[in-house]
Amino acid sequence: MKNIIEVKNLTKKYADFTAVNNISFEVKENEIFGILGPNGAGKTTTLEMMEGLKRPTSGTIVVDGFDVVHDPDEVKARIGVQLQASTFFESLSLVELIETFGAMYNRKVDAMQLLEEVQLTDKAKSQAKELSGGQRQRLSIAIGLVNDPSIIFLDEPTTGLDPQARRNLWDLIEQIKAKGKTVVITTHYMDEAEVLCDRVAIMDAGKIISLNSPRKLIEELLATGFSKPVVQQQASLEDVFLTMTGHALRD
Amino acid sequence: MYTTYKLTIAAIKMLVRNRQALFFTLIMPLFIMLIFGYIGFDKPQLIDVGLATSTPSAQTQAFIGQITQFPNFNIHQGSLESEQEQLNEGNRAVVLEAQGNTIIAYTNASKPEAQAVVSILNQFITSATLQQAHIAPLITVQTQEVNAHNLRYIEFLLPGLIALSIMQMSVFSVAFVFTQYKEKGVLKRLLATPMLPIQFVAANAITRLIVSVVQAMIFIVAGLVLFKVHVVGSYPLLLLCVVLGALMFLGLGFSISGVAKTTDSVPVFANLVVFPMMFLGGTFFAISSMPSWLQLIAKFLPLTYFSTAVREVMTKGSGLSVIWPDLLGMLVWCVILIGLATYTFRFQEREGA
Repeated sequence: MKNIIEVKNLTKKYADFTAVNNISFEVKENEIFGILGPNGAGKTTTLEMMEGLKRPTSGTIVVDGFDVVHDPDEVKARIGVQLQASTFFESLSLVELIETFGAMYNRKVDAMQLLEEVQLTDKAKSQAKELSGGQRQRLSIAIGLVNDPSIIFLDEPTTGLDPQARRNLWDLIEQIKAKGKTVVITTHYMDEAEVLCDRVAIMDAGKIISLNSPRKLIEELLATGFSKPVVQQQASLEDVFLTMTGHALRD
Repeated sequence: MYTTYKLTIAAIKMLVRNRQALFFTLIMPLFIMLIFGYIGFDKPQLIDVGLATSTPSAQTQAFIGQITQFPNFNIHQGSLESEQEQLNEGNRAVVLEAQGNTIIAYTNASKPEAQAVVSILNQFITSATLQQAHIAPLITVQTQEVNAHNLRYIEFLLPGLIALSIMQMSVFSVAFVFTQYKEKGVLKRLLATPMLPIQFVAANAITRLIVSVVQAMIFIVAGLVLFKVHVVGSYPLLLLCVVLGALMFLGLGFSISGVAKTTDSVPVFANLVVFPMMFLGGTFFAISSMPSWLQLIAKFLPLTYFSTAVREVMTKGSGLSVIWPDLLGMLVWCVILIGLATYTFRFQEREGA
């Protein structure tokens, strides 16, 4: 599979600290690529440089054949973005909101169809502020899809969501992948990365300390002789919770 | 073009659906107009004259009959005691009591109009006496009335209110909304699209220019209908004034959202600039009535140029040849404030290093 994103020697320095320290990696077409790491590891900074929101101090990023620094508009036209803090305009209905964002890409969009993809058709006339956390993230993803991007960046999309909403979002992300799009996602949840991601990069203190498929990373760890007391659990507490409360969305 | 057009439509929807903004831009100034318009500062003040029931002679009776016709007197009749009490309380300038051929005038020493009443009475008596003696007055005064168009207070106020409310709308709606967008990360999200920031700013500016014109129209219509105000000047020129005025205050609004870090600090910055102008900008009273040192400041304020230009056009029908200094003043302020806005306002916080 060809590389759709190529990051080389990327560095971001602020006055007194280095947020991203000389990292290089590739994202393959149509994979779900996870960036993991503790808070302050540089995940969001890396993502925002790839999105053209922050200027790299040094290094290059090529997205879908275009250099982010030299052709930011070409890149922006080809990517979809969901930021960590997703607030939108007040006083506009979801349909109007999606159409307005479509206009920013100089496109007429079928807002209802996008809302259907993220299961928000019944909220078409509501305003963003009336939505629950999970609904707002789905709206945010719908807006990220208005330009039919080939790559979508999701920054901690499941943080703060209940288990049902989280699983629902996983399904949505799988559907996006099934349409041939590439997904770059950051998360704090290892179970999420394990279920969703084809490959993950683990970041710490501005560096990528490991990059591979979740399975390979686990094998690598086990090969070092790592072991933990094995307790054969037939189910986890989350399984209990979801069995009792069901998988259906609550918002 | 499509992008800016659609963004403008969206911005109009947002502004119109924001009830709070609508209240401050339209309802509030209209309220001020109604209150000040109906108080009627320009009706001549009537002088309160008390007539005590008394024992007049035929002559004093006829004389008192004449006094009651005098248009500038507000006549009150009552017993001597009650009228004197009113006099003591300051509710009468003069109380008159006729005793035979004598008229006793009790005057309120602290009211200057009391002396005027007494001299008017003396004049009446003198001319009546002269007439009876068939003596022609040595000098006669001929009055000739000129039909000057006196500016009523509402006519003075209306152009000022138009300028004031456009200032309020432009400054506050931009400063609040854009600081909020900045604070909540909306602008950052917009930067992730290929849209140019200028397109978004333009859409919002166009929206507010349209609202300014609508504001001016509503005020003029209200003035025409409710107060029968005369608008003598040219409407296209008025439109030019409104657009220039709104532009400079939009620049101010964007400058404030450039400086303000959070929406909480917006009213602080905005009122610091806007509040003094409400009183010094020639809205409620003329700059010329201020002490000269204050005039020196007041006449260079953006709102002063704006309200003066609108007033000149609306009440005197002045053309470009008269108001060009005001238009120039507004233009200079446009350059300053829009320049300040482009310097301070960013879609994204500047990155350190």
